[in-house]
Amino acid sequence: MAIVQDKLSPDSAFALTNKAKRSDRFSGGIGMLRRLLVSDYFVLYLTLLFFLVASIFYPTLSNPASITNQIQNFWPLLAVAIGQTFVLIIGGIDLSVIAVMGITSVAGALVMAENLDPAFFDKSPVWGSLMTEAGGVLAGNPLAVPAAVLTMLLIGTFIGWLNGVAITRFNLAPFMVTLVTSTFFAALALWLTQSRNISGIPEAYVTLGKGDIVSIYLGAKLTPDIARRDILPFITYPFMIAAGLAVVAQFLLSRTVFGRRMFSIGTNRKAAEVSGVPTQSVIIRVYMFCGFCAAMASVLYSGRLEIGQPSFPNNLLLDIIGAAVIGGTSLFGGKGSIRGTFFGVAFFVLLLNILNAMRLSPFIIDAVKGAFILVAALLDIIRTRVANQEQRV
Amino acid sequence: MTTPLLQINALSKAFFGISAVKSVTLAVHPGEILGLIGQNGAGKSTLMNLIGGVVPADSGEMLLKGKPYTPRTPADANKNGIAFIHQELNLFTNLSIAENIFIDAFPRTRWGMIDRVTIKNKTRDLLQAVGLEIAPETQIERISPGERQLVEIARALYQDAELIIFDEPTTSLTARETERLFAIMRQLKEQGKAIIYISHILNDILKLSDSLAVMRDGQLMAHEPTAAFDVNRMIALMVGRSIEQLYPPRSTPPSTELVLDIHGVSAAGIVENIHLQLHKGEVLGLFGLMGSGRTELARMIFGLDPFEVGDIRVEGVALNNLSPQSSIRNRIAFVTENRREEGLLMNIDIANNIGLVALPEFARTPLLVIDRRELLDNAQHMANTLQLKSGNIALQNAKALSGGNQQKVVIAKWLLSRPAIFIMDEPTRGIDVGAKYEIYAIINQLAAEGSGVLIISSELDELIGICDRILVMSRGEIYGQFGRNEFNEERILRAAFRETAAIPTGEKLPTLDEMAEGSAS
Amino acid sequence: MKTSMKYLGLFVIAVLSVVVSFGVVSAQTDVTICFGFQDLETEFWVAGHRAITETLRGQGIEVLEYNANEDPNRQLEQIRECIAQGVDGIIIIPQDGDSANTIVAEAQENDVPIAVFNRPPNDRSAGVIVVADNVSATEQAVEFIAQKALRQFEITGEAVTPLILVGALQDTNAIGRRDGFFNVITRYNERYPGLFNEPIEVATEWDAATALANLEAAITANPNVDFIFTSSDFLFPTIRSVLEPRGMWVPMGQPGHVLLAGLDGDATACQLIDQGYVDATGVQNLFLEAELTMNRLLQAIEAGETAPNEVLLDPGFALTAGNIFFQRSDMWGCVLYDDGFLDQ
Repeated sequence: MAIVQDKLSPDSAFALTNKAKRSDRFSGGIGMLRRLLVSDYFVLYLTLLFFLVASIFYPTLSNPASITNQIQNFWPLLAVAIGQTFVLIIGGIDLSVIAVMGITSVAGALVMAENLDPAFFDKSPVWGSLMTEAGGVLAGNPLAVPAAVLTMLLIGTFIGWLNGVAITRFNLAPFMVTLVTSTFFAALALWLTQSRNISGIPEAYVTLGKGDIVSIYLGAKLTPDIARRDILPFITYPFMIAAGLAVVAQFLLSRTVFGRRMFSIGTNRKAAEVSGVPTQSVIIRVYMFCGFCAAMASVLYSGRLEIGQPSFPNNLLLDIIGAAVIGGTSLFGGKGSIRGTFFGVAFFVLLLNILNAMRLSPFIIDAVKGAFILVAALLDIIRTRVANQEQRV
Repeated sequence: MTTPLLQINALSKAFFGISAVKSVTLAVHPGEILGLIGQNGAGKSTLMNLIGGVVPADSGEMLLKGKPYTPRTPADANKNGIAFIHQELNLFTNLSIAENIFIDAFPRTRWGMIDRVTIKNKTRDLLQAVGLEIAPETQIERISPGERQLVEIARALYQDAELIIFDEPTTSLTARETERLFAIMRQLKEQGKAIIYISHILNDILKLSDSLAVMRDGQLMAHEPTAAFDVNRMIALMVGRSIEQLYPPRSTPPSTELVLDIHGVSAAGIVENIHLQLHKGEVLGLFGLMGSGRTELARMIFGLDPFEVGDIRVEGVALNNLSPQSSIRNRIAFVTENRREEGLLMNIDIANNIGLVALPEFARTPLLVIDRRELLDNAQHMANTLQLKSGNIALQNAKALSGGNQQKVVIAKWLLSRPAIFIMDEPTRGIDVGAKYEIYAIINQLAAEGSGVLIISSELDELIGICDRILVMSRGEIYGQFGRNEFNEERILRAAFRETAAIPTGEKLPTLDEMAEGSAS
Repeated sequence: MKTSMKYLGLFVIAVLSVVVSFGVVSAQTDVTICFGFQDLETEFWVAGHRAITETLRGQGIEVLEYNANEDPNRQLEQIRECIAQGVDGIIIIPQDGDSANTIVAEAQENDVPIAVFNRPPNDRSAGVIVVADNVSATEQAVEFIAQKALRQFEITGEAVTPLILVGALQDTNAIGRRDGFFNVITRYNERYPGLFNEPIEVATEWDAATALANLEAAITANPNVDFIFTSSDFLFPTIRSVLEPRGMWVPMGQPGHVLLAGLDGDATACQLIDQGYVDATGVQNLFLEAELTMNRLLQAIEAGETAPNEVLLDPGFALTAGNIFFQRSDMWGCVLYDDGFLDQ
């Protein structure tokens, strides 16, 4: 985790708070609290504080198995939240990511699934063409898995392109456009599969969803027989994929012309246009990237579950947008970072786990989760106010 | 002398260790109009924010009618009878005049319902007091900026304000509206109200105020009866040096080589058959009233708006498929009339604002990675060249700059792309005298280096001061052309008003004095 | 601002501590079982959740509960977390049969015994699978009203016209229930020829609106229907709204009573049996299922068996006006009903 954070913390010229101004004006406890509040790492500190307090009461939270487990839960949500962060930065929103995950998950399975049960699927409109009893289009072919992943990424990117084109060329509100594509592709995924999950996913694909590259074992060396549950995943394929995506995204955002243009569009689209920023093409590409990220997340989710899953739960969308916003990305555009989203995702993943560890009644656990998100959001408002005070001259 | 309504003693305020207001002592009495002038960033706004409870003072004290006054919030100030009439109006445009006036506390009937009858009658009285004959239920968005100003004053009257602070109230007003505003201010004064009047229009201040305070760099430079000032002394006190002229001399003659050639451009209902030639090294003024099509023409040249017929040539090459991107490739720059909406990325740092247009030039292929060092160096160099007054340009946001410095950032952004043609729409609107002079000097320098500069302005003095040639636009057409040696305020204004053409019914033809009033600076 | 900041800081820390300490459980037992369920949106699953947690806690077992909110991915994450916490066994109610397979494999790979409650995985060869036997439960309920029909037939000599509301036939539950119904009708017709007319099948697709339309049409065409079986109890209100205007909604013991049986045993069914409108409902014995699940899991834990594989069937039982007094507490719908569930 430390490695990844290092890569994700460049001294961006877009740094939105201002480090230089902090020094001498602050003194004592209040000063430290203020400094903490305006820090880019605020959400991380909050998350860690929360985790440490909870660990005192629930020691199991801090056992290595549980921690590596949380890290594994982190990656797919991060992948999809990165794309959403991009869209939010240009002042848009993409509600279609859940549907993109569903339709790409199905599309991938239609390419590579082995064995399909006619009892489930013979009413599907693509039974006999894309689906047969032998499986998907490339069932059994050694290239089936790469072809499936490629298909998924292409479809995700294509849906992003559709969103972007509708938003720019026809000047429609992103909320409406993505709501429409979301509804359409969610329905398409259900229709194609008749609402059934597609199983029979090849092993290589499953590896992408949960395979270890480096595992760790923290126990006595001499045990002849190590139980599977004591071998902890450390570096996994999802880790590589999502962290890679994060590094690329952070690079795009902070180092390239494209990233600067994204911020300019999110801050003031008219001014960006006058200044020669090709706003339409930047917006379209941002939505394409968001679709790509959602498809990538779909690979991770459906790989580890070993099924092509037509419908993802809609409340996941709140976690995705919530993670970005808790991480400091503005819903009004022009502000946000991958690092922030990284912390925001950590906040959500840990929060959920801590709430579970607290053995709260399942009937109230979501209410408590909502309360925590509210507290975090309120802190963010105060944080923004403090940061603004520093800017005022 | 009577007790001052508001007495300020050694008031100070610093931000980040930089003094914004330094030990200012000032008083304003009932029935007095106090004029307050100073360049942007001189501390006027901070001083007003201290009075208005927006920010707390670091040291010093304020006495209101002899009693200590320490406002914590703007609402405190309101309660104490201090009202602000802002440059940017604080009205809800979707509500009616009456609702805006009563927004803080709607009167109730004894049933607890909002008492619409009382509201309406009271509003009508208030509107009459400020000379506005509009129905109380009219929505704000349907009335003109000048009328909105009067509504704000009506609201101040309703709140029983004893001190009314006017911050640049005339910026968006027509000559007639300004005149009416002044009449009302005098009337308020007669009723014993104290008024602080902040403006960049020095002649207005001279005419209107009883005493005059000048600020520079957070300090009070002078506070004397108005009779003790003339324009030259005011400027000298504001800028700290004496300005012989308001405009730097046009020294370099334009070349005869064409850089921009516009031929027969028309767009139905907006502009008609426009012919315009701009030469290298020339400063060309485009004068016209609001709605004459001057801004629209500039937007067409730059590729922001479409036109139907006609062609545009840059250095002899005809342009087609115009867009801002193609215009930038063709080395055209466009400083828009509205900095806030179309000019700047307010919440982004200065360096990235300056770098925005020329961004691809700082990129290394193949991934278009930005050389941040180079971008920062270039932005800093440009900031130095234009004498930008700012903090660290990589950290400070554009929002935090004064109007004049913001405009410099906009110009710097275009300069980095080394344009051959500079189109500037109202480049000095809302900026102070000192900064204006600097902008004029920059324009001069651009022309000296061979760029063609097209300046759109509704301030005729300014165009006469800095241009080689002035074109007059009226109702979508070029209606007159004047070389530097034939500049004559009256003739140019006549052309702008199409003296010979029919005037829309119901509108009185303004006298020349009135016309000049509206454009004088 | 400054003071508010200080208070805010204190407030946050206080809230964190209070909320966190709120859930501390002191009782520690030897066995910890993780219970992951898909949601609590319908009364059936609320009852299932209750059956398991009460049964386990009744034995002094510590239960870790995880609600997946209908997200199979989240359920997988939660089960992994359970494994990481070192639980002794796992019980899941899966979101669907496919993800259940993956989750069972995940647990078994990590040597934790797992049982799947009530909603079986597609592949029933792995894990302890506890499932209701739809055919058996249906047969018991239909048999009860067939007996009543037979007594009527012996007196009047008039043939009985049976009607079945069929579920969505992609669903194995719906198929089993239909089979159970026809098994009984065929058996009785063989033994007592002429007892039943040809059964009328009404498709519902598990949808109340579809059921209403089709049932209206069927009853209009065959007004002499006097024997109705619904594949699920949730359709009783629908049946009532069709029968009532025709004067066919009559409690038992009065002339014109239509024999009514259903399956599931929800709170409405319990109420209607109490009131005498419904004769019988086939009930999944959730409490029995919970007990079966727990016992098999405890047995595996004790024996050190890490991957027990077995399918356990719950034969169900018919709840009728006759036995409701005795079996009330076994019937999940009555338990909810008696708790005032329908009044909420």
